[in-house]
Amino acid sequence: MAGTDPIHQFVIYDIAKLFTLGGDGTEGSGVTFAFTNSALFMVATVAIVSLYMILSTGAKSVVPGRAQLVAELLYGFVANMVRSAAGTAGMKFFPLVFSLFTFIFVANMLGMVPYFFTVTSHIIVTFALSMLVFLTVVIYGFVKNGPKFLKLFIPSGVPGYILPIVAPIEFISFMSRPISLSVRLFGNILAGHITLKVFTGFIVTMSSLGFLGILGSALPLIMAIALTGLEFLVGAVQAYVFAVLTCMYLNDAIHPSH
Amino acid sequence: MAKPQDNQGQQHGAREVTRDLASRIASAKREREIEDNRASRDASQEMTGLGRGLRIGTEFIAAILVGAVIGYLIDLGLGTSPWGLLVMLLMGFAAGILNVTRVVAQMNAASPAPPGSDLGPDEQDEDDNDDA
Repeated sequence: MAGTDPIHQFVIYDIAKLFTLGGDGTEGSGVTFAFTNSALFMVATVAIVSLYMILSTGAKSVVPGRAQLVAELLYGFVANMVRSAAGTAGMKFFPLVFSLFTFIFVANMLGMVPYFFTVTSHIIVTFALSMLVFLTVVIYGFVKNGPKFLKLFIPSGVPGYILPIVAPIEFISFMSRPISLSVRLFGNILAGHITLKVFTGFIVTMSSLGFLGILGSALPLIMAIALTGLEFLVGAVQAYVFAVLTCMYLNDAIHPSH
Repeated sequence: MAKPQDNQGQQHGAREVTRDLASRIASAKREREIEDNRASRDASQEMTGLGRGLRIGTEFIAAILVGAVIGYLIDLGLGTSPWGLLVMLLMGFAAGILNVTRVVAQMNAASPAPPGSDLGPDEQDEDDNDDA
C-alpha cells in the first residue's frame, strides 16, 4: 500500500550530500549536511517569489499590467495589515512580514501540486519561522525600550500583591507564542494533507472491489475535490494568520505598554 | 469682452460636473465599503470555523506545554521534583485560559454583531412583553 500511505508524502530524502561534521569517517556517524527535497522546495519558493516580484515590477509602468497589478495589490494588502496591527512605526518591519507572508503562501500553494513536497508540513520549518519572529520581537523590544519592555508582563491596573501570580502567567503566555504560532501552521497543513491523501486513498481501495466499489468510490471522490478547495483556502488563510499575528507581536515590541 | 463670461460659464459648468463626480465617487466608495464589510464578515464567519477552533486550541495547549517545560527545567536545576512541574503546569493552565480569553475577545472585536441582531432580552423587549 505504498501508493496510498498518507504519511509517505512527508518523507525527507537527500538529493545531494554536502559535507559531514564530526564523526569518525564511517557511514552514519557525525552530522551530515545535505541538500534535501525540503531545501529544494524552499529554494523554489524563494525563487518564485523573488522572480515574480522583480520581473512583474520591472516595467514600473504608471498604469500597471496584470502581473504588476497583482504585485502592487499584494504590497498594499501586507502594508495595510502592518499599519492596522502595528501602526506606522511598524512599517520598518514590512520587509520581514512581507517575506514571511509570501514565503508561507507560496510554499503552501506549491505543496498543493501533486508529487510536490510541502515545506510547511514540518514543524521544524514553521518553528524556525516563528522563532525568527519571536527573537525579532524580544531583541528589538529590549533594544528600543530597554528594561521597560518587561512592562509587557505587568498588566496595567493590577495591584502589587497579585503581581507574583500574574507576572509568571503573563510570562508563560508570552513564551507560548512561538509554539502556538508554529504548531498552528504545521498542524493545519499536516492535517489537511493527510486527510486529502486518506480520502484519495479510499478511492483507490474501493474501486478495486468491483462494480459496486467503483460506484461507491464517487463519495470519497467528491469529498477529495471539496477538500482540495478547502486546502487551498487553508493554505492562504494560515499564511495570512501567521502574518497578522507577526504584526501583533511586533506591535508589543514597538508599544510595550498593555 | 465676451470671453471671460464665456470662461466663467464654462468654469461654473465644470465645477458642477466635478461636484457631481465627487458625490458619485463618495457614494460608490460607501457602497464598496459596505460590500467589503459584508464580504469580510461572511468570510470570517463561514470559512474559518475550523481555523478558529484550531487557533483557540493551539493557544491553550501551547501555554500548558510551555508551563510544563519551564517547571521541568526548574526541577532539573533546583532538584525540587515534582513541585516545580506541578506548580508551573497549573500556571501554564492559567496562561492558556488567558490566551484563549484574549483570542476570543479579539475575534469578537474583529466581527461585531450586525446591527439589529438579537443579543438577548433588553429593556425594549420587556416593554413589548408587557404590552402583549
